[in-house]
Amino acid sequence: MRSERARHNKIIFSGTVGAGKSTAIAALSDIPPVCTEAVASDETAALKKTTTVAMDYGLLNLPDGEKVMLYGTPGQERFSFMWEILSEGGIGLVLLINNANVDPLKDLENYLAAFKKFIASTAVTIGVTHMDRAQEPGLDAYRKKLAELGHDPLPAVFRADARNREDVATLVKALLYTLNPGLVDA
Amino acid sequence: MSRHTTLPGPHLTALYLLHAGSMDVRLISLSVERHWKHAVRLVPTLDEARVVLVDCDRPGVEAAFEQLGPYPSAGIVCYAFHPKDHALRFPNRLILGKPLNLDALPGILAKAANDTAAIKATVTARRQVPAPVPTPPMAAVETPSSLGHGLHMDEERDLCGAMDDIPLTPGTPLSEKLFFAPDQYLIGHLSRAVEQAVASGRPHVISGLPHLIGVQPQPLPVCVTAFRGNQLRPFSMTQLPHATARIVSALIFSESVGTETVYAAEDFLWNIAAWAARGRLPVGTDPYQRVRLKAWPNFTQAFLSPHALRIAALWTRTWASPVEIATQLAIPHRYVFSVFSSAHFSGLLDRNAPTVAPIAVIPVAAHPSPSPKQEQRPSILSRILRKLLNAV
Ligand SMILES: Nc1nc2c(ncn2[C@@H]2O[C@H](COP(=O)(O)OP(=O)(O)OP(=O)(O)O)[C@@H](O)[C@H]2O)c(=O)[nH]1
Ligand SMILES: [Mg+2]
Repeated sequence: MRSERARHNKIIFSGTVGAGKSTAIAALSDIPPVCTEAVASDETAALKKTTTVAMDYGLLNLPDGEKVMLYGTPGQERFSFMWEILSEGGIGLVLLINNANVDPLKDLENYLAAFKKFIASTAVTIGVTHMDRAQEPGLDAYRKKLAELGHDPLPAVFRADARNREDVATLVKALLYTLNPGLVDA
Repeated sequence: MSRHTTLPGPHLTALYLLHAGSMDVRLISLSVERHWKHAVRLVPTLDEARVVLVDCDRPGVEAAFEQLGPYPSAGIVCYAFHPKDHALRFPNRLILGKPLNLDALPGILAKAANDTAAIKATVTARRQVPAPVPTPPMAAVETPSSLGHGLHMDEERDLCGAMDDIPLTPGTPLSEKLFFAPDQYLIGHLSRAVEQAVASGRPHVISGLPHLIGVQPQPLPVCVTAFRGNQLRPFSMTQLPHATARIVSALIFSESVGTETVYAAEDFLWNIAAWAARGRLPVGTDPYQRVRLKAWPNFTQAFLSPHALRIAALWTRTWASPVEIATQLAIPHRYVFSVFSSAHFSGLLDRNAPTVAPIAVIPVAAHPSPSPKQEQRPSILSRILRKLLNAV
């Protein structure tokens, strides 16, 4: 069934508070992105019940009419219970880590642990954001950490500015090629 | 004012650089000094020129062309980043693409000089403006593009060359053209400077170039330079005379505060190497030896040659030779050689392949799909990819 299938066409954006998930989705989305947290506070109580989820939602319209959803998980860890539910059936994960946080490598470890099952069955690419404000740790430190955590082969780790559409698209392209290097753009 | 050409020798093309930037003047002078002493002579005035080279990208080019009025028998060769755009402004002019192909340039200049002289001989000079050179623009030749990344054909030739594939198995002697000597390019100097800076823990500077390039090893290795991005590419592609660049240890390397750009050393090395390599391999490379990428390069800054993302996706997970990677992805070898050269200089290449259990080479498109859910993937992934490629 078409609606059933469409539900699986989604790319998950996750990462620390303020890393740039909402910004990244907005940069890529063909529709103005929806932030359900904002919606929930304005809507009726009845609607609230179904929108307790604080997430971002964007959309890529493919030329053949098919849609790919871009889901941003809530950054705050109090919402982490729903990360797995949100990502179920997703194509893969774009993980954004705010390099200006206190311990971004620890953040990386926590998020990879939270998405362990999802990543094992799909793929992940990592965008290190806010590097213009915080140069350290550098990409090499991220790679070392990933190796320590047993990631072999290493996933793609790019310096990314969530405000730059091309950076975000490069992360998604790398994700697609990680899933299948033989992919051709046909 | 009539023009009296003074020909210093029978084969030397007297070249005048009209309206060229100081950077280009230095680069072309260096090339003449090193490679074309016997083919080209730079002349200081239009009076002496048999051919002029004109940079169309700089403002005021129309006024520059007007200066040529009194010199109808001088050949004219133009160059620009987007020759096709200028072809409308200056129809019938020969417009080369930037960066200039320095191997081909002396021949083109000589031809332009001779063609104009020939026209002059048959058509008596009755015009004020110089005669157009009836040579087709360079950009219109070469083979069809095979890229998946929307790169323009000219760009493909400039950035990855046009080299044919090499034999799939070792044994046949390989053409010298497959290799480049890093020491003849900026990349050789840069890679030594980074090495020395990292080993000593002290900043190093490459001097003797139009701008300084500083290498700061700590806390994270970075390169700092006042070279602008669009200068770096042509400069990296150019062979430098041996004594041009010097590497010195330094306390600070600030050239002119505020105008420098800071690059992560790895990204900088990747790009400078790609531009020198143009689809070739560093001399001494065995294209049949299995290697691996230690990590993905930082592709938001590192130069994305055609198919580079696919190559990185495969090469971070497989020990394979450049030729095997190209075969698995069914792409021309030169694209893999480009990635190899960059990875080599940026320290991302792992050459210590395990001796046990060689990895079977399976064409990637033929990987089995483990679940029905994943069977759908290739099509939807491809379509998302196409959407992103077209939109970016
Ligand atoms: N300087 C800088 N700002 C960035 C970068 N990436 C994103 N930002 C900015 O960071 C701020 C936070 O971005 P958001 O998109 O709201 O972050 P988020 O991940 O959605 O945050 P939560 O929803 O609170 O978890 C925005 O103002 C962005 O414009 C970057 O690389 N550098
Ligand atoms: Mg947000």
